[in-house]
Amino acid sequence: MRRGDPAPRVDTAVWSPLQFYAKNWVSIHRMNFRRNLIWYLFLAPAAIMLLMFMALPLIQSLELAFYEWNGLRPREYIALENFEDLFDDRFFWGALSHTLTFAVFSMVGTVGIGLLLAMAIARRVRGAAIYRFIFYLPVMLPMAVTAALWVRMYEQNFGMLNVMLRSIGLAHLEGTWIASRETALGSVIAVAVWQFSGFPMIILLAAIENIPEDLHEAASLDGISESQRIRYLTLPLIRPVLISISVLQFIFSLKVFDLVWVMTLGGPAESTSVLGTFLYKEAFRKQEYGYASAVAVVMFAVIFTVTYVYQRLMRVEAVEF
Amino acid sequence: MNPERRAIHPLVKRMPGAAVTILLVVWAIVQVYPILFMFITSVKTDKQILNAPFALPEPLKFENYAIVWQGDRVAQPFSTFFINSFTITLGSLIILLFVAGLAGYSLARGRFPGNAATQQGFLLTLAVPVHVLIIPMYFFTGELGLRNSHIGMMLVYATLGLPFTIILMRAYFLSFPHELEEAALLDGCSRFGAFIRVVVPVSRGAIASMAIINISWIWSELFFALVLLDQPQVRTLPLAIAGYRPVSMAAESVIGQQFAIMTLTALPLFVFYFLFQQQIRKGMTAGALR
Repeated sequence: MRRGDPAPRVDTAVWSPLQFYAKNWVSIHRMNFRRNLIWYLFLAPAAIMLLMFMALPLIQSLELAFYEWNGLRPREYIALENFEDLFDDRFFWGALSHTLTFAVFSMVGTVGIGLLLAMAIARRVRGAAIYRFIFYLPVMLPMAVTAALWVRMYEQNFGMLNVMLRSIGLAHLEGTWIASRETALGSVIAVAVWQFSGFPMIILLAAIENIPEDLHEAASLDGISESQRIRYLTLPLIRPVLISISVLQFIFSLKVFDLVWVMTLGGPAESTSVLGTFLYKEAFRKQEYGYASAVAVVMFAVIFTVTYVYQRLMRVEAVEF
Repeated sequence: MNPERRAIHPLVKRMPGAAVTILLVVWAIVQVYPILFMFITSVKTDKQILNAPFALPEPLKFENYAIVWQGDRVAQPFSTFFINSFTITLGSLIILLFVAGLAGYSLARGRFPGNAATQQGFLLTLAVPVHVLIIPMYFFTGELGLRNSHIGMMLVYATLGLPFTIILMRAYFLSFPHELEEAALLDGCSRFGAFIRVVVPVSRGAIASMAIINISWIWSELFFALVLLDQPQVRTLPLAIAGYRPVSMAAESVIGQQFAIMTLTALPLFVFYFLFQQQIRKGMTAGALR
């Protein structure tokens, strides 16, 4: 509230709150606004940044998807043609199916291994703290570093993996890994599992350790075996967390870019191309900005829907956070 | 009546001590070996790397580090990339924490019309996959002079971190005691003054943990840097690594240098992880289950 402002005039000669409001609503709202002004000002920087760097580009992306544009000539409105082309583009369908394959398998891999590790560590093994430290270590690696490192591991003649297989007499298992179409996508997924299994492990371990001790005690008094305990006690109790972390890993994997880009650039022969790399290439290699925006719209629709449904199902209510 | 006799995966069925230990040890080796391999290879000569990949380096050669730091073979010295990454990470964090702090505080304390709607809006922005923003962003950052600029990169990263950080900040400020600020307000502080002089100093711990959550993704970010930084002198570390794509191992002699760059890029985050393990893992748990 500025200092020099005159106090708003309020007519108090009334006989009910309703009448008071009817007579003075302008002043009331003005007063409220002035009192709340500081809160709006506190919000302003965040709101401006999100509008400028998120909402605006999002709207422009949606708009650009209906144009043909190479960045230089004036853009040309072509209605739904980009989407029709997309529908006929086998490389787009390839990228979409690789993305889904990548997301499903890296979700199953990371959460599966993470669950095994969490259950193992939760048994209070010796050195639990060390294991926990080690298993989370790769998560901290920048993805570009992981990717570059594994490019070297996968190299055919001098790469660690083949050299190792050769030296333990398993030369027949030697592979071309990321260099051939059949094995490339699987090899990239394996790297994702290698790097990120520590993440679900930490979350699931926290969930398992949250199970009240008396439940375990009651269970052991009843004389049930460990397999029964895992099946009837641990797994049901951590189920919500298990589902939650699986969906999160899935969403996270749908956005894959770094790993694929540094390891294979989407190759060989587009066999590891995912939505992220497909979009990048169409836009910044081929200068097909309109077409690439159509890819962005599809990507947005898929990921936004999954995330939104997840937020609803998990009852992520902003108001009662 | 033993229903559990069927359909339990054998691995889960009975995890006897020995099997558990074997599982843990094997996976620990699988996780650690490639990272150790990275460190070891970075202190070998290329001849050693190709002829004796398993051998320990003998003697330790730090030449690779010296070469990449000064920029002999690479067009730009590594020190440039390192300083760029450092500046951008630090700048993004400062903007992000300040803006998110103010916004989170406003949402936690203010009872103004539109509060709930704003929160819903932020929650929606959390679901936006950021890759779809790249094309318009490429063009308008060019027009505003924010492409190939550290300031531009900081603003972009700060924005990408906002939705998540604001929601966590709000949750934190909800549990922050009113009494402290009220005393400051009674003493004649403005709201902003009370925020800066009373709320922020008391919340150092929470603010530090928000910084911890955001540091690693900003340091590692590749996609936006790849598009928005195309001049060599403004590039960040992940770009330097992506630019080192090898063709075939025999034909080149920069393997050791590449490993030195990778090690130097990973090292700050490892040191950081070593120092703040607890907070990082706790932050991740809180963040993931929000």
